[in-house]
Amino acid sequence: MNIISSRDRVGIIGIGQSEFRARRDDASYPDLVREAVVLAMADAKLDFDAIEGVVYSLSPDAMVGIGNAERLGVDAVGGRSKRFLRINTGGATGISSVTAAYYHIASGACDVVLTAGADKVGECGDSQTVLNKIWDPTYERQLPLGTINMLAMSAVRYMKMYGMTEEDMARVTVKNRKQAALNPRAHLRKIVSIDDVMSSRIISWPLKLLDCCPQSSGGAAMVLASEQYIHDNKLDAVWITGLATVAETYWMGDRMGADPTAEHADAHALARSFQRSYKMAGITDPAKQVHVAELYAPFSNTEYHSIDAAALCKKGESIAMMRNGEFELGGRIPVNTSGGTLCTNAIAVTAMARVAETALQVWGRAGAHQVNGAKLGIASGNGGDHQIFGTMVLEA
Amino acid sequence: MELMSRQETWNITYTHALGETASYFYVQLRDNAKIFGRRCAKSGKVLVPPRAFSDETLQPTTEWVEVGPGGKIEAFTMVYEQFNNLPPPPYAFGYVLLDGADTAIGGYFKGVDLADPAKAAEKLAIGTRVMTKFAEKRTGDVLDFWFELA
Amino acid sequence: MPYKVQPGVVGTAIRPAIAGNARSLEEIIYETGQAALADAGLTIDDIDGIVVGANDQFDGRAISVMMASGPTGGVDRDILSTPSAGEHAFTMGALRVASGHYRTQLVMAWSPTEASSLSEAQRLGADPYYHRALPLDELSAHALQAGAIEAKVPGARQAALAVAAKNRAHAAIACPGSAHPAGIARWPLSAEMTSAPVSGCVALILANANFIAERGLKNTAWVRGMGWATEASFLGDRALADAPALRAAAEQAYAEAAITAPAAQFDVVEITDATPYAELLAYDALSLCAPQDWSTHLSDGSFARGGRMPVNLSGGVLANNPVFCTGLIRIAEIANQVRGKAGAHQHPDARLGLAHAGSGFAMQYQAAIVLGAEQGARA
Repeated sequence: MNIISSRDRVGIIGIGQSEFRARRDDASYPDLVREAVVLAMADAKLDFDAIEGVVYSLSPDAMVGIGNAERLGVDAVGGRSKRFLRINTGGATGISSVTAAYYHIASGACDVVLTAGADKVGECGDSQTVLNKIWDPTYERQLPLGTINMLAMSAVRYMKMYGMTEEDMARVTVKNRKQAALNPRAHLRKIVSIDDVMSSRIISWPLKLLDCCPQSSGGAAMVLASEQYIHDNKLDAVWITGLATVAETYWMGDRMGADPTAEHADAHALARSFQRSYKMAGITDPAKQVHVAELYAPFSNTEYHSIDAAALCKKGESIAMMRNGEFELGGRIPVNTSGGTLCTNAIAVTAMARVAETALQVWGRAGAHQVNGAKLGIASGNGGDHQIFGTMVLEA
Repeated sequence: MELMSRQETWNITYTHALGETASYFYVQLRDNAKIFGRRCAKSGKVLVPPRAFSDETLQPTTEWVEVGPGGKIEAFTMVYEQFNNLPPPPYAFGYVLLDGADTAIGGYFKGVDLADPAKAAEKLAIGTRVMTKFAEKRTGDVLDFWFELA
Repeated sequence: MPYKVQPGVVGTAIRPAIAGNARSLEEIIYETGQAALADAGLTIDDIDGIVVGANDQFDGRAISVMMASGPTGGVDRDILSTPSAGEHAFTMGALRVASGHYRTQLVMAWSPTEASSLSEAQRLGADPYYHRALPLDELSAHALQAGAIEAKVPGARQAALAVAAKNRAHAAIACPGSAHPAGIARWPLSAEMTSAPVSGCVALILANANFIAERGLKNTAWVRGMGWATEASFLGDRALADAPALRAAAEQAYAEAAITAPAAQFDVVEITDATPYAELLAYDALSLCAPQDWSTHLSDGSFARGGRMPVNLSGGVLANNPVFCTGLIRIAEIANQVRGKAGAHQHPDARLGLAHAGSGFAMQYQAAIVLGAEQGARA
């Protein structure tokens, strides 16, 4: 892969996010998409005429209850007769969509691209039932697999390998809720204590209710443009300087045993994805060079292996660093200052929100949860059975 | 103003072809209460459950290898929450590395008292030896077997 | 052509009709991907990224890319999924290659017939707010479009029958002995105007010009221009007797490829004939032939084998209907024509070809891809 020259960069010129809530009974699904799109277009100060292509962010159709629901969003994104395609990489969909939009521009095909989507997870009968259907019908559909118990099993292995405790997990929820309280767009903003988390009911051991993400509804949208367009129109922008997507094996059982290539306790493909993004962005010492991180972690324990995978420390060291407050706002490398996925999870756009929040940070526009002086940030998204990982480096 | 809503249910049945590899696995399970894995010649790994090719080497797998019935727990969880269309809690399940296999297979853990989660977690700790148990009447389904502490 | 580095198709594998259930879907995907690599003379180690297009509701999987990532070679590799259409996997893959960041891409689409009713699966695409209660599957949408065309263009029905006869004749050469099970009648479509769905899979390998030169790869179908666009959401908002999205897609592709006289410049064309009316509409929207000339061009053999600009030498969707793959297969067919690898239905002198891909309710998504044996002038 070539490292991009600085005259060929792709920038973000507009961002829009809903205020995420459990339900949005006042808005249909296309209305929610439109809400975010209008915010992003206003932020970019552009008319729809300027948009040359649209990437639609939508993960399982079943969550929204409409087959190929992106068709219903065509008008919400102003897509008639425009380049239009939809991306689905499960939970990573949002960051994969920004990635796809990036390549519309980096290829030379377009100068200005919109990416947008929304989700109404709270309206789905039961998200775990739908998520059970992501497993293959040959050998695993009959088991009661869901994303919660899949990552509970990751927690069990991480506990054994690195000594994480249930209190360590609770510590992540406490940190993220405290930060979400400063973010008006977050869904769960109530401050909780370690005791609150520890005494919440067990869902799938060791994951308790407060270790788990909510089911959120809302939309997100971003406008990307070529460096030439940004220069010609004298626009303000932040830059995507590194990006990559890497998958690991679908088979969870292959991530166990004596010497697995991808260990289920860790996030192997996420580490590989960050390696490629860092290489592209010219980052050689992430622990020193990264100012802020929005790492997709829908369960408290997964924030640890995500931090490890981002090479912000050695594997397992994130536990001690979390105890020392190094990942809090004001700490050495703030992680998920928006509250992260643990406080807001509208699946189709959660990973886009990670990019959006990181972009806002390096742009100096993150408001009450701004990390002072942040100029270089990283974002990640996870999809499938903890299998497909998108990563991005964003710079001012 | 009055806000309205509509209910919709998705109702499609799928008949998935299992292919020769998975079919062999299930026939052996149903007829002989045996579990088989398949070896990737390039990596030497015995993959359980078996597949026609390795996703790591992208080479076809080449030989059948009987695995188990003993094994050890690689991952587990105990579920205490009811989810629509999933079994009533509490139940324990996870992944077991059967003797002779290089990858772990999923299944239920039965016969463990789940009333006290901390105690149950100790009983199911990673590395614990288990034995595969087979249903008397088997239909050729992963629910034909489960694991109990050895 | 605006691309940073020009992409080209260097390998294909088309499985337009897979019978029986000897293979699981994952095994079919694995074999087809491997076959495309073999056709390109490459191995998976040469592949920098993968893009797949599949429909969750057809597959019976809530995230179709998840299981597919293994068989396609996605482990430790970059994989994206465009469930909107198989042809979108092609455009996405081509954009990645064109950026210069990727030397190659493997692009795949598949379409199983494991659902109890594809019609039911398609009906789930109708919005629950106003349209779900209607029997609105893709066939109904195509029928509505056919009706609109008949109402607008005198002689359209005769022209449609001529299209079907042409494609049937082409199928007899391209895939003799294939079943082509007749479809279902839905006025004004007769059962013989469509084929019943079958299972299928298709894979293409894209590479950029630098890699092609480095490896000395021969037989490249160069991407000269690409266009893709979508119609409005609700069928009722659309003028069904027209295809504005295809006009827009064609405009994008022709501008990139410097095509000024489409009716004269292409040697060979493949159109996604979900119905013969869809093919007629594409003649118009692709500026190949205006409605008043449809009947003439069909009766004088212009679009038939041996004619001035044969359309659907493969027999089209009428020959084989692996629903979700049909668009990407058209692109693969033109790539094969231009590469001289189309076998029994090879055009004797295919230097420049046009592939049309359409999917969804009454061809909601439209794409036009221009492929050539030479790289052509850089715009």
